[in-house]
Amino acid sequence: MQSRIKQFPQLSSEALANDQIQKNLLGLYDGFHKARISASEATPNWDELSDRGRAIKEHTIENLDYYLEMVERTVTAAGGKVFFAKDAAEANKYVVDIAKVRGVKLVIKGKSMVSEEMGLNHELEKAGIEPVETDLGEYIIQLADETPFHIIAPAIHKSKEEVSDLFQEKLGTPRMTEITDLAMEARRQLRSKFINADMGITGANFIVAETGTVALVTNEGNGRMSSSMPKLHIAITGMEKVVPSIEDLGIMLRLLIRSATGQRISSYVTTITGPRKDDDEDGPEEFHLVLVDNGRSKLLADPAMRESLYCLRCGACLNACPVYRKVGGHAYGWVYPGPIGAIVSPMLTGLSDGKDLPYASSLCGACKEACPVKINIPRMLLYMRHQLAEGDNYPEHKSAPFGEAMTFKLWRFALSSSMGLRVFGGMARILQKLVAKDGRITKLPPPLSNWSKLRTFPALASKPFRSRWKG
Amino acid sequence: MDSKEFIANVRRSLGREVGAPPPAPPDDTYLALSNQQVESKAQAISRDLEANADEYMALLEKSAEGAGWRVARCKTASEAANHILSIVRDMEATSVLFSGHSALDDLHLDAALSGTGVQLEAMVLDDDSDKKAQRDDFRLKVINADIGITGVDYAVAETGTAVLLAQKGVSRVVSLLPPVHIAVVEKGQVLPSLDELFTLRRKEFLNDNLGSYMNLISGPSRSADIEYQIVTGVHGPGEVHMVLIG
Amino acid sequence: MAASSGQVKASLFVTCIIDQFYPEVGESTVRVLQRLGVELDFPQAQTCCGQPAFNAGFWSDAKPLARRVLDHFQHSEYVVVPSGSCATMIRIYYPELFHDEPESLQKARSLAERTFELSEFIVDVLGIADVGHLIGDAAQSDMQKVTYHESCHLRRELGATTQSRALINSLPNVELVEMDQAEVCCGFGGTFSVKYPEISGAMLQDKLDRIGSTGASSVVACDCSCLMQIGGGLEKAGSGVQSVHLAKLLDDAIGQKPRANG
Repeated sequence: MQSRIKQFPQLSSEALANDQIQKNLLGLYDGFHKARISASEATPNWDELSDRGRAIKEHTIENLDYYLEMVERTVTAAGGKVFFAKDAAEANKYVVDIAKVRGVKLVIKGKSMVSEEMGLNHELEKAGIEPVETDLGEYIIQLADETPFHIIAPAIHKSKEEVSDLFQEKLGTPRMTEITDLAMEARRQLRSKFINADMGITGANFIVAETGTVALVTNEGNGRMSSSMPKLHIAITGMEKVVPSIEDLGIMLRLLIRSATGQRISSYVTTITGPRKDDDEDGPEEFHLVLVDNGRSKLLADPAMRESLYCLRCGACLNACPVYRKVGGHAYGWVYPGPIGAIVSPMLTGLSDGKDLPYASSLCGACKEACPVKINIPRMLLYMRHQLAEGDNYPEHKSAPFGEAMTFKLWRFALSSSMGLRVFGGMARILQKLVAKDGRITKLPPPLSNWSKLRTFPALASKPFRSRWKG
Repeated sequence: MDSKEFIANVRRSLGREVGAPPPAPPDDTYLALSNQQVESKAQAISRDLEANADEYMALLEKSAEGAGWRVARCKTASEAANHILSIVRDMEATSVLFSGHSALDDLHLDAALSGTGVQLEAMVLDDDSDKKAQRDDFRLKVINADIGITGVDYAVAETGTAVLLAQKGVSRVVSLLPPVHIAVVEKGQVLPSLDELFTLRRKEFLNDNLGSYMNLISGPSRSADIEYQIVTGVHGPGEVHMVLIG
Repeated sequence: MAASSGQVKASLFVTCIIDQFYPEVGESTVRVLQRLGVELDFPQAQTCCGQPAFNAGFWSDAKPLARRVLDHFQHSEYVVVPSGSCATMIRIYYPELFHDEPESLQKARSLAERTFELSEFIVDVLGIADVGHLIGDAAQSDMQKVTYHESCHLRRELGATTQSRALINSLPNVELVEMDQAEVCCGFGGTFSVKYPEISGAMLQDKLDRIGSTGASSVVACDCSCLMQIGGGLEKAGSGVQSVHLAKLLDDAIGQKPRANG
């Protein structure tokens, strides 16, 4: 998918002005966010579980080479094929080539964020193959030709009226006022696709290295459809999704599902180990696992950023983020929105292109508090800000405006001694007479004038604390 | 990319020499357990299942209801068969498919449902006939069936879950395509939590018996993708029944 | 822990924002701590913890300011900070900032162990959660309804959610009414508030609405940065609701009267 992360200021502004988006975003706090909190409180020893989940991911990522080798061995032993794709282009080529060779005309897709990264649907279409998104939210945004608004609920920004209009326009259906009717229409439309598809493509929530197993977490059943009905199943995901043992799944599934929707477990958890066995009643004859790098090795190579690869893609940080809850997913300009997107999108598509994302945060830490594997997102945002400001490890991305750099040099100079503070403070007190009245400033001068649209500002006190102290 | 090259790049990114030997999993991972240790754990689980079957069944009854199953507790197989008959009647079903789980044998479904006019068929491949033709035939039937009936391989009390392994006699889609799914659970099949399930599966793997496909089913198919409103039956069954025997 | 008659010695890190913009909050902090029996000193050389430069990514400008703090407070038994964000900078981020400078790292780790935000210090170090019994007759006043805004760093970096509430609840003439989403960020975030003013403003508006819904006459917080954002918004909107630092609330109840300075 093309990255529009540069456009954050414009896209976020649009989102703030969009009443429908603002209305739908309101549902996140009382909905997903509170549901996660309830589910975690209802789970005995959640904090301990969270620590264990983090330890599993940390161990796996630190030894990712070892576990990827294991995955290749075990998936192959189960009768599947593994392809390691360096980037989106390689991954697309692999999938399209197989589809062509097998004469695939129709593809059904379960939700796969990585396939969005790849822009896979577009590549399939170019090759004359029809990809159909089957997750209800993805189906809606595919019809609308939009990008996902939320990791778990991609079309949550749309009203039922908008969905009805969309169906009317693209499917020729009559106007529908009930959400149940809209969902049943999608079921009807997709039924024949499930039945006639030549190939199913899904993502993978976890890959178990020990057994060569892919685990899929869904609620609708489209993941099951996509991995059961067609003759050919391809699972695509990022190389970081590995866990060592099948016994790790209990912990990881609880953390993922309860953090994503607050459910104790999703309607379906499906584990897939290779293609069907000879004795099986049904199922695909062929199974492929595509593991994608696409810049993840850059995150791996930077110890300060490595823990971003622990992410389970649960969306809890989005639901907890007061900024995401105001601007929604499209503002973040790429596949991954919210706090995790603010880290991953610039690192994968261009740090200085995405220079707004690390700064468009008040560093409140709600994301860190929400994360089931305790990823310290604020720390990474600070690190990215440091790279943008001073470029220690990424000199090519150093891009702080000159004025801002100078301001902090001046700040440091002024505050390097208490004398300096007195002198500069004194000067500022003289200057502020121009704008201060009764101890308040209603209009700050640029570049701080943005403050004053909604807030007054205090004037510097005539006598600072240090002058009042009597030792 | 060639897998060796890909993994070498990963190794370099981790700051390791490409030629260095890979690390062994540290003591505190599950992989560090020996096969014997996993076997012992599995045996302990089996003993626990037997000893606490009543308790786990009671827990499952509650958790399954909470997960959206319509739950019926039956003392005997024939009570269960009668209950299934009532579901079939209420739905005015005309075609019913069932799996080859042994739990269903005792229900004598053909007898129970005789006189309803329901087309009842076991979705089990016959080894002696053309498998491809049978598969094609079953595919059509399951697409049009009203109800799919299965047993389970396990159930999980923690989450209200029916666990179905794809295997000889058990289709992946008999519990997915028809709009109604009935799962029959016998006492002694209920595990307390997800952890026991995955330990048992691990034991199966170590005995070369993992199989290709497992479904954990915890209620009806659902989605909240439009305005957070929960809708059931989006692609999978919208109505799921759990019949507990014992 | 030390009772109110003990002699706990502490240094005050007053923070640049209080020093320059809200000196009366500093004075309240001093009076409250002295009333609770703390022997307080104020290293005059202090200026700023360096957080603004650090948050903006200019770590090479933050470091000299941080080193000054490490030096000027290295002999303090305790360091009390009437700000969750500045206490976080010192306790949590100094060790990160100096992770590859062994000498400064050692000083930072030592200082981290001795540094507390004000409400943490009163409740966890002094062991005083109930200040109600210290209220003199002269300070009795009408019941006031207050609500409480949880500052982000205080909650999520320092893990301090109960201490401030305990102190507020112990005041007999104060009724604490919790607002909805008290733990949600006010939208300040330092330069965030001027770089992304629309988003910051939208977050602020939500906070103001929730404060308004409580019917409280004041909103109390432990951070002057939040109070600057919230207070500035309340004033611009013409609301009569006051924004009050915890130190001032406590000072009004238990501080030494008459005031020390003329």
